[in-house]
Amino acid sequence: MSRALKYLLLFLSLVAALAPVYWMVTISLKSEVDHFASPPPWFSFTPTLEHYYEAFVTRSFAQYLVTSAIVAVISTLCALILGTLAAYALARFRLPYELDRKLSLWILSTRMFPAIVTAVPLFLMMRDLRLLDTKASLIIVYTAFNLPFVVWMMRGFFDEVPRDLEEAALVDGDSRLGALVRVVLPLVAPGLAATAVFCLIVSWNEFLFALVLTQTDASMTLPVGIAGRVTQYEIKWGVMSAAGAVAIVPILVFAMAMQKYLVRGLSLGAVKG
Amino acid sequence: MPNSRRLSNAASRRHLLLPYVLVAPAVAVLLALSIYPLIYSITVSLQVGDAWSIGNFTRLASDNFFLTAMAHTFVFAVAALSCEFLLGLGLALLLNSQIRGRGFFRATLLVPMMLPPVVAAIVWRLLLNPNFGAINGTLKEIGINTEALTWTASPSLAMMSVIAVDVWQWTPFVFLVLLAGLQAIPQEPYEAALIDGSSRWQTFWHVTLPLLKPAILIVLLLRTMDLLRVFDQIFILTEGGPGFATETISLYIYRSAFRFFDFGYAAAMSFVLLALTNVISVVYIRLLRNESRA
Repeated sequence: MSRALKYLLLFLSLVAALAPVYWMVTISLKSEVDHFASPPPWFSFTPTLEHYYEAFVTRSFAQYLVTSAIVAVISTLCALILGTLAAYALARFRLPYELDRKLSLWILSTRMFPAIVTAVPLFLMMRDLRLLDTKASLIIVYTAFNLPFVVWMMRGFFDEVPRDLEEAALVDGDSRLGALVRVVLPLVAPGLAATAVFCLIVSWNEFLFALVLTQTDASMTLPVGIAGRVTQYEIKWGVMSAAGAVAIVPILVFAMAMQKYLVRGLSLGAVKG
Repeated sequence: MPNSRRLSNAASRRHLLLPYVLVAPAVAVLLALSIYPLIYSITVSLQVGDAWSIGNFTRLASDNFFLTAMAHTFVFAVAALSCEFLLGLGLALLLNSQIRGRGFFRATLLVPMMLPPVVAAIVWRLLLNPNFGAINGTLKEIGINTEALTWTASPSLAMMSVIAVDVWQWTPFVFLVLLAGLQAIPQEPYEAALIDGSSRWQTFWHVTLPLLKPAILIVLLLRTMDLLRVFDQIFILTEGGPGFATETISLYIYRSAFRFFDFGYAAAMSFVLLALTNVISVVYIRLLRNESRA
């Protein structure tokens, strides 16, 4: 294949990947007249922030944004704490009857359930517990959803830390947990950060559970808020695009920062890239 | 290492209970929020009205909507998986060659898969809208009649449209994993192939593909699981419509549970989906295991 053809193909792929997103951003910045203009103005239009104002000041999108952030951060913290402890045990101790290996696989398998399979009973459980339409229900569900991922990722990172280091700490009189906190955690800190970012992204993007478990502005996350505007009778394209554009920003920033770990995170550690 | 092993044995004897204490909270959370819901779901699926019955399961076989939704799910999964795999592999091979600015291309090509699926679907609603969407607008501009191109509003084009959107969003993922797989292949087999005088096609077929097989299997496994459970994009793009044209199994389960409040039937259907994804993942994992043994 000639060089020129290669670059042409790459350039076309680049346009295919980015043009749709660019179009949404322009819609969010165009006044309504331009939305319906023909031919569609790809480049020349007068930008306005009216849709951002309407979404985040007049309407409740600022609240959805805050809810999304709260739910994502708290559920990530919970999953990280529970998951890291479990991962450390599974990486460092050989349990009888190969229990450590079996537990790891069982934990991973819970992640493989299609979301809709657990969405139905979780809705009924949350209804019984009177937790429907609360942020707590989302935090609980996202913690459980991210937990297998944390265990699996962190176990891989712990495996890469040589045991001799903590054994030295143990000889020096540290307890196991002391050695974990003082010696091992600093060494796996980049992995821990990458894992945290993945959990944040998953929670931030999650739609089905949020759709099922929330009903009012009090607990709605950003994706549900955006989706709500779509299925309404009168579609506010500008508002929706403005909210969509804002929803993308933290994800892109995080993902670019975590490029090195992307493959590993997305493939549950199955491929190390 | 005999010394350190003795040490770690001594250490773990002192803390025989410690690993269990560390694992217990995570296991408890998963039992409560993954396993208990499944059991709860079984009991819900085995009740019709207030009586125990397998009626929800026998109903499945004669429910044409269910069978159609299953067929849609398969069509969607097979079509999207094939396109994503071929395009992803092509892109990975392209970027694995001598290319300037590889890091830039890699990073930018990943943007679609980073979007929240809801936002990706919004992006495409804006593009595919038959009246003022950018696609039809641009086509009109270059003189193409767009009257028949109503995309997600057309029964015949709707399925193709939702497949295209999934391909747009998830090809980058396939590409990313395969590129990592390609870059992990050592140089020696290629040098050997060069000495043997293999053609590029032979080298690709006999060297690259076999060595890439584990990465291929993993990415196909992960994509298949996601495609079979697809919900977000279709919900936003078409809500399963027009009519029933893009209703997949997850959407039908959602509709049964949360629009018709038929939780028992929804639970029964979700077990069919669970069984299906389990069988498929077992097949993939067996293939993977054979691969690592070979």
